[in-house]
Amino acid sequence: MIQKKICMLGGFAVGKTSLVKRLISGMFSEKYLTTVGVKIDQKSLSVCGQDLLLVLWDLYGDDDFQKVRASYLQGASGYILVIDGTRKETVEVAGKLHELARKTIGPVPFVLLLNKHDLVNEWVVESPMVSDLSDQACLVSMVSAKTGEGVEAAFSALSEAMLKS
Amino acid sequence: MSGSLPDPSFLSVFDALIFQKTAERFDHLGDLPSWFPPPGLRQEIDLPPGQLVDRSFFLQHFLHEAEEWWESGKRGQCKSGLWSEPALFGEDVVLEATAVRHRSLRYVILQRFGPDFLPIQPLLQKAREEQLSHRQAVNQHERIEAQLGSRLAKSEQERDDVMAVLDGLGLGTIMLNANRDVTFISGKARELLQTDPARMIGRTLVEGSPWKPADSVRVEEMGRLPGSQRQVVPVVMDRKNRSATALEVEVQDDPRDPRKTILLLKDVSEMEALRRQLVGPTQFHNLVGKCPAMRAVYERIGDIAVVDVPVLIDGETGTGKELVARALHQLSPRHEHPFLPVNCAGLTDSLLGSQLFGHKRGAFTGATSDHEGFFESAEGGTLLLDEIGDMPLSIQTTLLRVLQEGEIIRLGESRPRKVNVRVLAATNQPLQELVDKGVFRADLLYRIRVARLRLPPLRERREDIPLLSTAFFEKSRVAFGKMQVLGMAPETMQRFLRYSWPGNVRELQAALEYALIHCRSEIILPTDLPPELCDVFPAVQSSPFLKSNERQRILDALAQTKGKRAQAAKLVGMSRSTFYRRLTELNISQEESSR
Repeated sequence: MIQKKICMLGGFAVGKTSLVKRLISGMFSEKYLTTVGVKIDQKSLSVCGQDLLLVLWDLYGDDDFQKVRASYLQGASGYILVIDGTRKETVEVAGKLHELARKTIGPVPFVLLLNKHDLVNEWVVESPMVSDLSDQACLVSMVSAKTGEGVEAAFSALSEAMLKS
Repeated sequence: MSGSLPDPSFLSVFDALIFQKTAERFDHLGDLPSWFPPPGLRQEIDLPPGQLVDRSFFLQHFLHEAEEWWESGKRGQCKSGLWSEPALFGEDVVLEATAVRHRSLRYVILQRFGPDFLPIQPLLQKAREEQLSHRQAVNQHERIEAQLGSRLAKSEQERDDVMAVLDGLGLGTIMLNANRDVTFISGKARELLQTDPARMIGRTLVEGSPWKPADSVRVEEMGRLPGSQRQVVPVVMDRKNRSATALEVEVQDDPRDPRKTILLLKDVSEMEALRRQLVGPTQFHNLVGKCPAMRAVYERIGDIAVVDVPVLIDGETGTGKELVARALHQLSPRHEHPFLPVNCAGLTDSLLGSQLFGHKRGAFTGATSDHEGFFESAEGGTLLLDEIGDMPLSIQTTLLRVLQEGEIIRLGESRPRKVNVRVLAATNQPLQELVDKGVFRADLLYRIRVARLRLPPLRERREDIPLLSTAFFEKSRVAFGKMQVLGMAPETMQRFLRYSWPGNVRELQAALEYALIHCRSEIILPTDLPPELCDVFPAVQSSPFLKSNERQRILDALAQTKGKRAQAAKLVGMSRSTFYRRLTELNISQEESSR
């Protein structure tokens, strides 16, 4: 079975861990529990007729307290860049992490997820604000770890892109 | 064991899994920690600890990093950072790997932390929760601010649109609050008022507007009336070195709050100018009339007023001679000094002399103190000698000397006093005829008629009768509180136009007042008019009938007023002196007049 390392990147509390949990267990918890360090999970998928084992590196949220170590990105075949659609400042963090990934592992496929789409009334991130990232991503999607909207499709799209690259 | 690792049994106190990296494999040292095998390996009982590396994605990754570190020859240790791998080590288990070197030997120490041994977790959790909470509050504020900003922009846009429409229509807008303070002035209103809005905002119209206070009061009072009774208020703004602006002010309640008021200002200067051009001046210093004769009078008044010479005003009784005299005074450089009218008729020589020139105490019986005459009282101003044709000859002589010398001598004194008074004289008698009869001094006549003004009788300017009637009607209905009377019937006006008006404008005014008092409907009917107007023939001048009619009219008036001559004079529209003279001329005896 083909193994692919995927890193979950984004600011703190954008929902990286929740997206992984939704993918793996189909569950969601309202309680926010910050991730300390790196959390490694696995998910088997069948993409384009091929069985694939995704090794998911859920990296802690990047902020003033914790900076993502570039070495964690080594060996990744792709990454998922997560933005919280209700917090504008997470766009900037995503941009910086994208730059770090590019420097560390080169132009590997990535998807851009605008999470928390269930909170439509609080939504503040508009398309022009993420246009630079959107142009480079193999998929841009509004998702919700809470409702599951677009989550599996996003991982499938990245897997497919990684297999093709 | 100097220079080598401590006894493996000693290492067990760290409850860590310690490997030694040799060639291509890992050998663990000492006792296995309490947490080994982890949940993910418990099924494989015989699995050696070294195989753990093959099962852990993170450890494999870390060993690549450690290899580079060992090769680099750096001192100290290389840490993996905290990680968790639930599938292998179970939920809530956090680990950390540390690579060290001892001499040429390479070791990896794997430590496991349970939730209770990781103090960073709650600290980080709290810090991030607070940051999230703060961010949510900021977002909330930003959303509210954006909503308010959007509403404000919308309101401003709507207001600008309305103002643009109003400005486009030439309407200025002023808004007043419940206290009648100005709260808003539109751009067009600023333009019309030519004033700094800061002078008006927060003040009442009386305090802040450039209008005359009386106009501001009228506008405010109009706002207190019910909407159905309100009328447009005309306001004229006089400006220095600029033509006056005529405005019409419409007072409306604010539809959103009836305690507030909206004033709509319309510039009607152009319309007013056109109207004036069309109809000519209808009024001049309380004189009403627009006929050519009156316009000529207005022009002549303007010319004569500024020349400081005596003026003789000639006109029948009731034509407005005193009004002309007042206009001459007002337009003259003497207007800030007194204007005194004196009636020369019906007074004895000594009494008139005393009134005009003053007297010294004891000059005659009853002169108990020094008395200043009208000439002295009018110092610097104007003295009107009305009915000068009735002035006794002795006083005429004294007057002539005063006019020539500019001095008066009080009765009982010998010392002349300088006076600076302009003399205007008025008469309804043909003075030249009086000179011919020897009852008026020719030299005085020449002296007082340096400038002359003749006022036409009303029968010679009938086109002014509607204008005068309307002016007196409006004035009297307010004065008498007869606001329910709205106008005059056409037949009434016809009678006014046909009547000869021997008492001239004064009689017209008295007739209208009479009619208003008697009027019981909304319009003045011919039946409301005084008896002499009830059966009017085409105007005939000085016919015997007219004279007998006048005699009867005076007798009726005396009967109506129970012999009170002053009231009767008013009723027939004559001055008192004319009334007395007519009594004599028409041979109305004392006995007849008091019946």
